[in-house]
Amino acid sequence: MSNPIPVPMNDMLYLFAQSGFPAPMAQSTLAHYIVVSALMFTLGLIGFLTRRNLIIMFLCTELMFQAAGIALVAFGRYHLDLSGQTFVIFVLTVAAAEAAMGLALIVLLFRRKESLSAEEWQDMKG
Amino acid sequence: MPPAHHLPCRLLFGVVFPRLLVSSSGLVLEQIINPYILYSLCVVGALGVCLALPRRGLSPQILGALIAALAGGLGLVALGAKNPQALPNAYFYIFSLIALGGAMRVITHPRPVYAALYFVLTVIATAGLFLILSAEFMAFALIIVYAGAILITYLFVIMLATQAPQEGEVEVLTKYDTEAREPIGAAVVGFLLLAVLTTMAFKGIPALTVPAFRPADALLADMPRRIERELRESGAIQSGDKVAIDQHFKATIDAAARTVQVTRASGTASESVETVALPETLHVTNAEEVGFNLLRDHPGTIEIAGVILLMAMLGSVVLSRKQVQIDEEAKMHQSQSLAASLAKATMDNRTSDGGGGT
Repeated sequence: MSNPIPVPMNDMLYLFAQSGFPAPMAQSTLAHYIVVSALMFTLGLIGFLTRRNLIIMFLCTELMFQAAGIALVAFGRYHLDLSGQTFVIFVLTVAAAEAAMGLALIVLLFRRKESLSAEEWQDMKG
Repeated sequence: MPPAHHLPCRLLFGVVFPRLLVSSSGLVLEQIINPYILYSLCVVGALGVCLALPRRGLSPQILGALIAALAGGLGLVALGAKNPQALPNAYFYIFSLIALGGAMRVITHPRPVYAALYFVLTVIATAGLFLILSAEFMAFALIIVYAGAILITYLFVIMLATQAPQEGEVEVLTKYDTEAREPIGAAVVGFLLLAVLTTMAFKGIPALTVPAFRPADALLADMPRRIERELRESGAIQSGDKVAIDQHFKATIDAAARTVQVTRASGTASESVETVALPETLHVTNAEEVGFNLLRDHPGTIEIAGVILLMAMLGSVVLSRKQVQIDEEAKMHQSQSLAASLAKATMDNRTSDGGGGT
């Protein structure tokens, strides 16, 4: 199903912005952005599960935040609603807070065992 | 009898959600992409990522990365081929290629510093995607906050938490950096999640309502002073003239016709209202729209974000502080010597005639 609203096909606009801001975005175009977002999230998840370095695991969660941000902005663009972008600001806030806390914890853990391996802490089961 | 291309979806989701099998609405996934292509590409992508993850000994990382890139590229091509009249623009493909390639390298590079630098690449490419989505403010905020602040913190911690090799010694990568844990299981779980996510999203997207038409610069009504300044600069109004404001302090503009009501104050005793055309160059910027949305529609969320940041700051200060243990005996000894010196000082003050001592 294509978009019923005709999209102006001005060449320059078509190249530089996704058909210009007030013009609506086609559903198939939205699907492209969602695929990129889902792929990035998947890569982040796989990285989180496979890597054993605590810092890389944290980096992978940031990757998943990025993916969520792309989906938010793409859906906001589709609905011509700015709330999607506003919520990316909050995602950034949470990512910054998480990085501060997490990295402080990692420094603390590194001081204890002189290693960044997640498996050093395997015995820490509740 | 459902068409044949419903079959993979039904096989995948019929097991998990039996209700989907009997839903009468049918699947609309094939409007976006052929399900056979989607799921086979997921399998190929899982294989590629699995091969690309670092492991001990000979690992075909480049081959794996190529297979994964091929799967991703074919997926985008298949998406575009289904709706060739509404392709995203060329920059989308460039930026998403860089972003996903960087993400791939983040999870496969054995050295943490390089992984962090590839993450910066991903962030910048994502900012490019935001730019073509007309989210200019978020694009630059992303670069400043992520690439500029958060990633620098990461690099600091990486450098704090790795030992530099001694002089003349060859640097050896640690075992936990060069060997992935359970690459096959993780790739299967990840790409199963991808299949479910994309299926759900693609089923939902054709059902989305097409957004209502919104006049481009309607938000200008909330910024009468800005309109006034622009009009004055372009010479359309004189110094005493004002943009007419209604009882909600909004400028009375006609966004479709691009005109605004102006109260003339010059010459005549009675004020007259006139309709003046808005300058062609006057448009609402993305930062203004985000600002209005943030501060007018989500004020409570800002407060919560502030509390989160404060808590994170306090938490990281408390956590990373070096724990100094002064034992009780030393503390007592110190306080006694302090008291003795204080008593001595007062004695000295009293014996001398008060000159100079404070």
